[in-house]
Amino acid sequence: MAEFTLDCMGEACPVPLMRTEKKMTELNVGDVLVVAIDHSCAMKNVPEWARKQGHHVEIEEVDDGEWEVIIEKVK
Amino acid sequence: MGQTVSPETRSTRTRAPRKPKKSQLPIALLVTVLIIGFGFFLDQAHDKMVVYLLFGISFGVILQRSRFCFTASLRDPCITGSTSVTRAVLIAFSLATIGFTAIKYPAFLEGKPIPGMDNVGQISFALIIGAVLFGIGMVIAGGCASGTLMRVGEGFTMQMLSLVFFVIGSLWGSHDMGWWRANVIKDAPTVFLPDVFGWLGALVVQFLIILLLYIAAVKWQEKKMGSAD
Repeated sequence: MAEFTLDCMGEACPVPLMRTEKKMTELNVGDVLVVAIDHSCAMKNVPEWARKQGHHVEIEEVDDGEWEVIIEKVK
Repeated sequence: MGQTVSPETRSTRTRAPRKPKKSQLPIALLVTVLIIGFGFFLDQAHDKMVVYLLFGISFGVILQRSRFCFTASLRDPCITGSTSVTRAVLIAFSLATIGFTAIKYPAFLEGKPIPGMDNVGQISFALIIGAVLFGIGMVIAGGCASGTLMRVGEGFTMQMLSLVFFVIGSLWGSHDMGWWRANVIKDAPTVFLPDVFGWLGALVVQFLIILLLYIAAVKWQEKKMGSAD
């Protein structure tokens, strides 16, 4: 149950999505990845992608225009 | 792998308490008042300007709230296989087709010049090359024209840089377009579908293409992601 963070601050989509996609393949089942994002479009497509893959996703707005997408790898 | 975790399971991570966020309501009210004030100011200059302002503001709000992104509609199928935005754009195209027909057809019936015909461009290799260049540019810049404008409004710093070069590129493009039209693409055909298929035929052809693309989008996502949601 390790926790990883991915800093995608200042990166426009699709970069956060592609980095998340890549990072998720390195994780084991049960691990958690926290993606820090400040791009509103990536805030939509990263969680959408993760949910479609069947992972558990929570979004937290940590500050105005800054989000943390918490993805728990399920499979 | 075999174990299933119920969706209620939450990770047991602890996080530092966040500082409470400042309410943005006063700023929102102030901006609304300023926009209304600006509307009255514009009304004195020209009566149509208020309509433009209203459309511009509404367009921006809808774009921001809906996260509608033309770039994502063409990019996401390639990188993740998700076509939800693609399908949204196809629906928008069909709505726009109805809207454009409603504007153009009455003008055609009355024998008046059809509005918006300046935007029916020539089809040429220059168009294809330009489209590919634009596509590469918009994926690197993280947004097409409307998306860049919207995110500059949201305060995303990187795309302010995109906006600067977007303005430079547009000015350069419109400066040289006349030369391209006169020298390079002067023999390229200009196709307006109602001239080829008739007004009803053009609608049928257009909706058929959109429908086929929609079906292709559904199939693509089923193949790439295993579901069409």
